Amino acid sequence: MPTKDPVKIEGKNTWEEGRSKSVTFIVTEDCQLRCKYCYLVGKNKSGRLEFDIAKRAIDYLLREREFITENSVVLDFIGGEPFIEVDLIDRVCDYFKARAFEENHPWFNSYRFSFSTNGLLYHDDGVQRYISKNKSHLSIQITIDGTRAKHDLQRVYPNGQGSYDDVVRNIPRWLEQFPDSSTKVTVSSGDIPFIRESVLHLWKLGIKEVNINVVFEDVWKPGDDERFEEQLVSLADEIINKKLYESYSCSFFSKSLGQPYRDNMNWCGAGKMLAVDHLGNFYPCIRFVGFSLQKRAALMLGNCFDGIDRNRLRSFLTLDMASQSPAECLDCDVASGCAWCQGANYDSADTETIFQRATYLCKMHKARVRANNYFWNKLSRKLHQDLRAQS
Amino acid sequence: MLKYLLVVLSESSAPFCYYEKKPRKNPKRDLLPLKSLEEAVIFALKNNLKVNFLYPDHKLDKAYNALIDEVDHVKIVPFGSRETYPDSILVIESDGFPAAGELKGLRDENIIFRLRKNDLGKLSSRLNLLLMKCKRINLVLMDIEAYGAEDFEQYRRQLETVSDKMLKLSAKKDPPELSVLTDRLALDRMNNCSAGLKHLTVAPDGKLYLCPAFYYGRAGDTLGGIRNDIPIKNRHLLELKYSPICRICDAYHCRRCVFLNKKLTLEVNTPSSQQCRISHIEREASRLYLQKLKEAGGNPVALADIPEIAYGDPFEIVETKKLSIADFKKL
Repeated sequence: MPTKDPVKIEGKNTWEEGRSKSVTFIVTEDCQLRCKYCYLVGKNKSGRLEFDIAKRAIDYLLREREFITENSVVLDFIGGEPFIEVDLIDRVCDYFKARAFEENHPWFNSYRFSFSTNGLLYHDDGVQRYISKNKSHLSIQITIDGTRAKHDLQRVYPNGQGSYDDVVRNIPRWLEQFPDSSTKVTVSSGDIPFIRESVLHLWKLGIKEVNINVVFEDVWKPGDDERFEEQLVSLADEIINKKLYESYSCSFFSKSLGQPYRDNMNWCGAGKMLAVDHLGNFYPCIRFVGFSLQKRAALMLGNCFDGIDRNRLRSFLTLDMASQSPAECLDCDVASGCAWCQGANYDSADTETIFQRATYLCKMHKARVRANNYFWNKLSRKLHQDLRAQS
Repeated sequence: MLKYLLVVLSESSAPFCYYEKKPRKNPKRDLLPLKSLEEAVIFALKNNLKVNFLYPDHKLDKAYNALIDEVDHVKIVPFGSRETYPDSILVIESDGFPAAGELKGLRDENIIFRLRKNDLGKLSSRLNLLLMKCKRINLVLMDIEAYGAEDFEQYRRQLETVSDKMLKLSAKKDPPELSVLTDRLALDRMNNCSAGLKHLTVAPDGKLYLCPAFYYGRAGDTLGGIRNDIPIKNRHLLELKYSPICRICDAYHCRRCVFLNKKLTLEVNTPSSQQCRISHIEREASRLYLQKLKEAGGNPVALADIPEIAYGDPFEIVETKKLSIADFKKL
């Protein structure tokens, strides 16, 4: 009998998952790219975090020990493109470390700095200096969407030119520095035909963990679910036939997917995390900041001067699945793993509420469940056959 | 199911709940248009609705009075208009509290007493005066968003004092009711304001709102003109079932004011910390009051005890009382 599970497809948990406070600093609202599926619809050059604002926010977070009780913290730097502001980030990180040490705060011994970057500046001297200085506390995720065709379909410069070549050249150095890194792939309607080859391509590049999700907005066209399912089934065949499940992971496939609901937990962590913008305003997550929203005004929880309005947190901290889901979701036989984004829900709701779940993804989720079932049933049979053959 | 309609006859009608009225302009021009009043009355008649008319402090034209008389109704009037409109519910403001002489003529009144935070220290003395003259007092605490720990403690002490007075009055044949102390005694389920579910409001602009506060406070959009199919988007969020905090709570008398919820927490179904703390201070006062009543051997012996609890805000226990999907569906 094999001593350990050979199937790695489901990936690994993130650092201190569920036990750390996640604080997102939106260091800039600017980005070199204009990705077509990006939820940040209001990119601009003026929204830049000032060091003094970041200091105030950190002081507030460290001071509120009774309110913010997590013993670990992930400071997530996001944009726009965060590495545009690497010098500022460096100062903010230094300040955090110094203050956490002075305060004898548990976070001093348990922190991560996390980045989601487009990777265009990864080779930059300033970025590399920052990485050298903080390497043991860093998680960096470069977003590369797959093949050149898939990537350049969505991730383009303002002039429409694709960014694949400028990102891919930085991938080897990134993987050398952070061998276990993952990337996050986003799928919109137009790039469904590229899913299979994109996942395989990323694995070939050496990125062993591919986290992939479809956009939460209402972009889906008739037949997208069927095309999506075909891509995933085809990918499943390739993974099984070539035993790629032994070395690689892809978040499309999960054993916990496609069951009736067993608990009443909210899917999204908005409100348990915190986002800080350049004015020092606090939000439940970046998806509630003005430049992320298409229809609604920003939903703020407070700011670094006056603190968090705890009344505004109450709905986020008590929100459960049942209170926001239509009956068809609660009765759904394949509900588990069906994702939603609280910010996207808020933006598309009929009233200003986080208690109305958008169901744009229903057909896409069901397609994913069918492909996922196909994958696990077929893999299970193959593993049994392999086992019998060995014995 | 709708049971009654609130009709705000004027911009300057007596506010009877947590909102503030608008400054009075021209008394004639700030009236609900006569045509809108007629629509409201007909709507009420067609839908078997009782009507609560909110009166301004000036007299209405005959045409208004004639229309009002066409439907079963209750008048809610400012204290100053009590002689013009006898047998009405009177609204008394703590910052314009009537002089002793003005209270003399009162007898078995039904009163809404709106207490400003600044007047919290006078609560028991004011209530002691009113309780002698009334059969029921609905207490409305204004400015609750500004309440802090000291205010909660002061409110608790004030209710304790009032409770002693109520206990003495309980020996009377028809003892007075005080909403925040006596309502909880006989309740075994939530009995809240139910704006949008049991009642709607016609505002002075002739349009429908969830309640007057949504007109005056501008916390939400109008529901449109008076018509049969009233579109209330996300109406289900007004129901108890869809409030994760309230559905596990047994402060049954709480108003669950959806306007204050929206104002303070940004969600109609989520009560603020202040709302919960105040309702639990009242719940505890009711619990102790009931105990004393039973010890005194009065009528309430048949009422079920109110359990002692260790929290002052159900938000503190939501995690431990989270419903399963199956239990949620049963609600």
